[in-house]
Amino acid sequence: MSLLKSVQDKLMGRGERMTEEQIKQALSTIMDPDLGKDIVTLGFVRNVEISGADVKLDINLTTPACPVKETMKAQAEEALRKLPTIGKITVNMTATTRGKITQAGSPIAASLGQVKNIIAVASGKGGVGKSTTAVNLAYALAASGSSVGLLDADVYGPSIPHMTKPDAPAQSNSNLINPPLAGEVKIMSIGLFAGGDKATILRGPMVSGVIKQFLTQVNWGEIDYLIIDYPPGTGDIQLTLSQTAPITGAVVVTTPQDVALIDVRKAIAMFDTMKVPVLGVVETMSFFVCDDCDKKHHIFREGGGHRVANEFGVSFLGGIPLEPAVARASDQGVPAIKAAPQSPASKAYTELAGAVASQVSIIHEAYKDALNHFSIDWQA
Amino acid sequence: MGSTSSTVGTNESTVPSKMGPAVRVKSISQLDSRTLGITWTDDQTSTYDVVGLRRKCPCATCIDEWTHEPILKPESVSENVRPVKVESVGQYALSIQFNDGHKTGIYTFSMLRKLSKSEQN
Repeated sequence: MSLLKSVQDKLMGRGERMTEEQIKQALSTIMDPDLGKDIVTLGFVRNVEISGADVKLDINLTTPACPVKETMKAQAEEALRKLPTIGKITVNMTATTRGKITQAGSPIAASLGQVKNIIAVASGKGGVGKSTTAVNLAYALAASGSSVGLLDADVYGPSIPHMTKPDAPAQSNSNLINPPLAGEVKIMSIGLFAGGDKATILRGPMVSGVIKQFLTQVNWGEIDYLIIDYPPGTGDIQLTLSQTAPITGAVVVTTPQDVALIDVRKAIAMFDTMKVPVLGVVETMSFFVCDDCDKKHHIFREGGGHRVANEFGVSFLGGIPLEPAVARASDQGVPAIKAAPQSPASKAYTELAGAVASQVSIIHEAYKDALNHFSIDWQA
Repeated sequence: MGSTSSTVGTNESTVPSKMGPAVRVKSISQLDSRTLGITWTDDQTSTYDVVGLRRKCPCATCIDEWTHEPILKPESVSENVRPVKVESVGQYALSIQFNDGHKTGIYTFSMLRKLSKSEQN
């Protein structure tokens, strides 16, 4: 190419061929806010395609529910635009949920081998909205593009089938039960089986047996997040759950009141004893917004969730407002996030899903060398 | 804030004021007929004599859960005792099924780390 033409090209902004080096250099200024490293070091930048001065690339996030997806895209486009000879910029945001809870050949591999993350939703006491939170968290994650399962571990008081109304389970050819779908989410609950309306009168060892079956004999398949609705309290079932499967992290649900906080502390202590990472605290019934005056009424006091989160050094994942629509939708078997997606509660659940997904990514980075589950047959 | 003692395979008090990442197992294997080897996520390594582990079983039939006095007499454990299976419990402990039928011991990683430091296993 003649010198004149090449100078002319540069003046016209028609560049030389961009190099991958330049691209990565520009993008290395963008930090992941949760992981504290830049997106090039983290391996997010993929499939870089350069034609002349035009650039196309993917940024692969750690979860479809990443709350900073749009911000990061804008930052990337801006960083690339700063390159003097850049032409057309195409940034695709993709996501591959990080996570792996067990190795092949392990006893839980048949049912949980393709589950990437297991999240416990727990509370110290009942009546704080734990199941409602678990359901809406599951559907909010699904709405963001993640594949989700929901396990109702409240054997004595299963409420998930009522709140989600799943289809009938498909027949299974193997020893594994197929979990039925309710919308996009796979569901398992003792309430799906015969006598769901009747009181379940089971003694301890039988309950533990049922819980273990839910974890080892259900064909959960390939899912990004398995949400487990823990029963309220800190007893046998909770221990069995945390011992049988490697729980990626726990979300603890509370109302703002102190009396609920006493029980939250017990739940957090239980998870700490078993070294289950606490992803954070979510405060339900945070406030009520009157539709006439738009004022926030803190019916159950204020700030409790933040206080207990600070006390334990865990994240505050969000506050969910009290809305009649949420309770009504639950009772009708449709999660609020589907029935009233524009409502403040639904928006709060969507933010909760983003916060939970972020914390899960942080946990993975922290524990990426760890074995989640192992089993050794001793040789003589 | 007070501390709470737990009975989930440990006699320790927990409830720290800040919960940082715990130490976990990076790799674990049988090193020989009577030795278990663990590499932890902080890259420390530990080895354990399995007969010693059987003698130190922390379950409630081997140690009185109220007084913490030993119930199991070390001399009653044969030098030939061996594991049949070693399996993770949650992400905080492992359980060992021994060939003398004993299988109720849950050995927390925290206990195993302490064992490794205080004795030359």
